[in-house]
Amino acid sequence: MVQYNFKKITVVPTGKDFIDIILSRTQRQTPTVVHKGYAISRIRQFYMRKVKYTQQNFHDKLSTIIEEFPRLDDIHPFYGDLLHVLYNKDHYKLALGQINTARNLIGKIAKDYVKLLKYGDSLYRCKSLKVAALGRMCTVIKRVGPSLAYLEQIRQHMARLPSIDPNTRTILICGYPNVGKSSFINKITRADVDVQPYAFTTKSLFVGHTDYKYLRYQVIDTPGILDRPFEDRNIIEMCSITALAHLRASVLFFLDISGSCGYSVAQQAALFHSIKSLFMNKPLIIVCNKTDLQALEGISEDDMKLVMEMKAEAMKTLIGQGGEPTNDEGVLLTMSTLTEEGVIAVKNAACERLLDQRVELKMKSKKLNDCLNRFHVAMPKPRDQKERPPCIPEAVLEAKAKKAEQAAEKQKKLERDLENENGGAGVYSASLRKHYILANDEWKEDIMPEILDGHNVYDFVDPDILQRLEELEREEGMHQEHEADDFEMDGAELTPEEQEALAEIRKKKRLIVQQHRIKKSTAESRPTVPRKFDKDKQFTSERMGRQLSTLGLDPTLAINRARSKSRGRKRERSIDKGNQNGTDDMDVDGDQPNKKLRLRSRSLSRSRSRSKSRPPYEVVPGEGLKDSAQKKKAIKLAEKSHNKRNKDARKGEADRVIPTLRPKHLFSGKRSTGKTDRR
Amino acid sequence: MPQGDYIDLHRKRNGYRHDHFERKRKKEAREVHKRSQIAQKTLGIKGKMLTKKRYAEKALMKKTLAMHEESSSRRKVDDDVQEGAVPAYLLDRDSTTRAKVLSNTVKQKRKEKAGKWEVPLPKVRPVAEDEMFRVIRSGKRKTKQWKRMITKATFVGPSFTRKPPKYERFIRPSGLRFTKAHVTHPELKCTFNLEIIGVKKNPNGPMYTSLGVITKGTVIEVNVSELGLVTPAGKVVWGKYAQVTNNPENDGCINAVLLV
Repeated sequence: MVQYNFKKITVVPTGKDFIDIILSRTQRQTPTVVHKGYAISRIRQFYMRKVKYTQQNFHDKLSTIIEEFPRLDDIHPFYGDLLHVLYNKDHYKLALGQINTARNLIGKIAKDYVKLLKYGDSLYRCKSLKVAALGRMCTVIKRVGPSLAYLEQIRQHMARLPSIDPNTRTILICGYPNVGKSSFINKITRADVDVQPYAFTTKSLFVGHTDYKYLRYQVIDTPGILDRPFEDRNIIEMCSITALAHLRASVLFFLDISGSCGYSVAQQAALFHSIKSLFMNKPLIIVCNKTDLQALEGISEDDMKLVMEMKAEAMKTLIGQGGEPTNDEGVLLTMSTLTEEGVIAVKNAACERLLDQRVELKMKSKKLNDCLNRFHVAMPKPRDQKERPPCIPEAVLEAKAKKAEQAAEKQKKLERDLENENGGAGVYSASLRKHYILANDEWKEDIMPEILDGHNVYDFVDPDILQRLEELEREEGMHQEHEADDFEMDGAELTPEEQEALAEIRKKKRLIVQQHRIKKSTAESRPTVPRKFDKDKQFTSERMGRQLSTLGLDPTLAINRARSKSRGRKRERSIDKGNQNGTDDMDVDGDQPNKKLRLRSRSLSRSRSRSKSRPPYEVVPGEGLKDSAQKKKAIKLAEKSHNKRNKDARKGEADRVIPTLRPKHLFSGKRSTGKTDRR
Repeated sequence: MPQGDYIDLHRKRNGYRHDHFERKRKKEAREVHKRSQIAQKTLGIKGKMLTKKRYAEKALMKKTLAMHEESSSRRKVDDDVQEGAVPAYLLDRDSTTRAKVLSNTVKQKRKEKAGKWEVPLPKVRPVAEDEMFRVIRSGKRKTKQWKRMITKATFVGPSFTRKPPKYERFIRPSGLRFTKAHVTHPELKCTFNLEIIGVKKNPNGPMYTSLGVITKGTVIEVNVSELGLVTPAGKVVWGKYAQVTNNPENDGCINAVLLV
């Protein structure tokens, strides 16, 4: 499926630029230094390489040009014909053919000169042969220069053609110049086509897209066609004819019944009859435009006869499609693009007819039969005659009704209308105050002072000022009550004992406050002290039990566990001995969940005689970690988090390391000025 | 305007920027300085090409300026002296010529006897034997050096067959054999690609002529039936002599001038 997008063709350079590009590339990409004293085979190879490299580059670039330009026989006939109309097929093919010959010639030149270079026995001879070879190749390209320029122009124009997909649903609009085709397409799509009162405003095909029944339709606006013999038609008209001939689309033939386009209905009817052969097998709709100037019923007898003739022709296409011959509503329609009445009806009719035709064709084709038996639309069988319409809640219906009401009275007077009434933009100034919300409506037109007693009024204005005043008064009132209670203690009234007592009280008060402050500090400011430094013995198991019971949990298990852990080794030893006797001795309340712990306790008890040095790698659980694995992990994390000093004098990360000893960028490349003796 | 011409459409609808023309004018004025900056900074082969282009432009500009500055002014005119014009004091005398009158045929016969022809390149640089031939060693021990390979362009003719390789002394490599020459007609000033019929004379010696070696100054015979020349008698001329004007081994082609 070829993409009809000609924007991807690479730029075709002019002849001179082409030569410059290739020669400078040869000069940059091949070795440049050769001396008289080199071995002759080396000299020969040096120059042969240049000749071959140049030829290869020319070949590549010319091949891309030839391949990227579309072949007029391989693309859709619509595009083939359109390009023929615009650019002249013969000229186009000739240009591409010349490029092809140029490519072959360059190949031959390179071959011949490489053969000759084999007999070169001096540097001068080889160099002259290379110069001759490159020169001849460049002359070939210079000769082909005009073709290159022509192809570049074509490429630029082709890239701007509208992207029309010839296979999808399309609506074609045709008719005399100035009948209203572009206005119609502007109304139903987002295409911004120029609409001007002079004829031939539209000079090429324009594309817009519109939707109908959740499907996308292409709408193509064509330049106006005049009634002339086929051979006399100019390029612009030929574009429209091409579109009509090749695209399977529904055709809207526009008729201007008011005659304001400058052509009478008779002339338009004549055009219709001359191109009616192009409407074969296409759903045709005759659209009478500009009914605001002249209604269809009001035209003269002769014109009405002509219109009816056209309608008869259009009906023939309808019959040919297999539609009902009596349904003539979709064949002749009236509309006015200025007042927008009938526009949507026309679009719907065109889309509907096209859709029907396409669906019919698809049904007849063989491909659909494979799909049809995979479809099954299930309709539930009605079990009784009761009607079950969709259920819309009351609230929604009311809201809809209200909205409809509002839409009906949407002609609200806008400020803009008011302005226009009262003299226009410069004369009338809108009163911005009329929508102010104030306690008293009379204050709307009051003038606010800005400066009062040398101060800005707005610095002192506060919208909540009354509320704040009330609050303040309330506070002051309470404060006044408190003041009544407090009485100042005079220092002279006290006795020395009382003074001492006062001093002590104050000191104690200060201490309490300080302690309170310390307690109040958060964990970030307060260092976390481990429990073994808990001198105050605050954290006892009873305290834990109390706290847990306040939470509502049973503290006995936790207390037992805490107690068992805090027991000394003495306790564990006795446990071991006690196991043999049974449970006569002290209660074994420490359930030893951990095997390691049990082993530990046993090993300890056994090795009582020996000294108690632990092997260095042994990790004893404790300090808040539940087992050795967790403690090991904790130790590892701690070690990783700090940088160990490198006391072994090994190489560290700060010691300089050269990853590559001979980096390519320092050891290769040419210099723009000077020699490359030193690196 | 086609649908794809976005720039033009925007300009038509919205017009230009308020400072568009001023900016354009200023940018064009700055172009001159920018060009000179680039010309000063570009190095290497690009710099050389740029200076060449600029020099050509400068020369053209000077010419047009001179042309515009031409004013119609009156200048002294030097009348050419007419043929046979005689000063006033010699008017009465009869002029006598004392030159010997010789016919054209006599002249030609003299020239032929001398062996001198009128050619565009009367003198050429002599080509030494070691430049012309390359020694090819042959034999089982590669000691025999009697074979020679010709290093210049040659012409052998269509019915040429080599001598058996054992006996051939002069090797004419097929890569250096040419059949066509680019012949320029001196009066018409146009060049044709004509077939060589044979080598008439090589200025370096008769041996080279017999070998068919083509160097600069060689007179060759070319097939001019393409040109459609006709003798006064009415016969079609199909062979003419031409002299080679370049070094074919250096350029890979034979360029010659027709001897009319």
